[in-house]
Amino acid sequence: MSHQQNYGDTIPLHSSSQSDIDEIENLIHSSLSSSSPVPPASSARTPSPPRAQIPVSSSLPPLPPTSHKPLPVPVVPSVRIPAAPAIPSSSNPRSGIEGFGPPPNTLTEPVWDTVKRDLSRIVSNLKLVVFPNPYREDPGKALRDWDLWGPFFFIVFLGLVLSWSASVKKSEVFAVAFAVLAAGAVILTLNVLLLGGHIIFFQSLSLLGYCLFPLDIGALICLLKDNVIVKIIVVSMTLAWSSWAAYPFMSTAVNPRRKALALYPVFLMYVSVGFLIIAID
Amino acid sequence: MDPNQPVTENYANPKTCFFHVLFKAAALAFYILSAIFFNSFVIIFVVTVLLAALDFWVVKNVSGRILVGLRWWNEINDIGESVWRFECLDQESLARMNKKDSWLFWWTMYLAAVAWIILGIFSLIRFQADYLLVVGVCLTLSIANIIGFTKCRKDAKKQIQAFATQTIASRFSSTLQSAFSVI
Repeated sequence: MSHQQNYGDTIPLHSSSQSDIDEIENLIHSSLSSSSPVPPASSARTPSPPRAQIPVSSSLPPLPPTSHKPLPVPVVPSVRIPAAPAIPSSSNPRSGIEGFGPPPNTLTEPVWDTVKRDLSRIVSNLKLVVFPNPYREDPGKALRDWDLWGPFFFIVFLGLVLSWSASVKKSEVFAVAFAVLAAGAVILTLNVLLLGGHIIFFQSLSLLGYCLFPLDIGALICLLKDNVIVKIIVVSMTLAWSSWAAYPFMSTAVNPRRKALALYPVFLMYVSVGFLIIAID
Repeated sequence: MDPNQPVTENYANPKTCFFHVLFKAAALAFYILSAIFFNSFVIIFVVTVLLAALDFWVVKNVSGRILVGLRWWNEINDIGESVWRFECLDQESLARMNKKDSWLFWWTMYLAAVAWIILGIFSLIRFQADYLLVVGVCLTLSIANIIGFTKCRKDAKKQIQAFATQTIASRFSSTLQSAFSVI
């Protein structure tokens, strides 16, 4: 998750600026106008055309590109971190004007804003993936801003719920659930890639993690209501929901003749998680 | 804490340095000491991994920018390719970065990764697969940050060289021009 770190500053943020790239661009323009020497440039690692400036594509997604790999939303740290913004409000006061370059000047947003933006990104990713919406016809576009914080949170939550439901061997249950889900997501992604599919590794990990959300709900309901019949019904419904959510992304990524090969393991994984939920007592 | 002042011996951003170190140390300490206090593996796992994730986030988004002026992230462009982007401050600001800050930044990152490797070896020796899982996750996070920032720094150096040669070339040509105009 790339996020900007901004701590109170005199430079006003562009009102619609929500991404690092937007902010950097604004600051480049403002610092160029105040004759700063060299705008920071970014270069792509891949052979795709290197751009001399911070790239801003016209179809830049409204939400900022998200972080690399892991992890959980700083829900906890939101309590602690507000102490942090006190830091930079006293540092970097006029650094932009003195030609410090854009990145320290993008430290104008308090950490709390960054946290809120991350949270809203997770919510919007969740809505894109799991609930019906107009972007489902174009899966590649839908999860453009992948992030792994949502999936991590869902996997940990599922592990915790399963662990709470278990009356014995709680630790093993949690460890097994976490390892199976994490390794399963990686293996499923590799499966799609090896079938000659076009999918981006982290995007797929992110997707499979978000599709766990219905199973999370199912597990929570099963935790609260211990009747076997209810469990079976709830689990099958949430299982169907999860598979429905994952279907468009997985199927469009591969050759149509290999759709079943790509989808079957996903379904299998969710079925086994469903059995785990039902069988825990 | 004003980075514009000439910093000779003090940290320019002590609070950022503190937070940079805090979560790493807390994750390591909690992992090592928790065996004494907690019986439940679940709590150890969740808290340790949570602290490691917080550390990852803080380093990537806060201390990377403030202490060394580097940033890296991943984007998916219009044609659906995954692109890694690296960004650094311009050369002037990079030169002004506090040496102590950046020393602390890099060395704590390396030390934390080494510490996790050692803990991983311990849990391998003891055949504790669950603790190996915790160590594995934390190690992955540390290494991801190290790789990201190292690539970013190499990128920054390349840009500085390119900028330097470009500057030298342009100055050379302007000197030539002024020389010729005098003659």
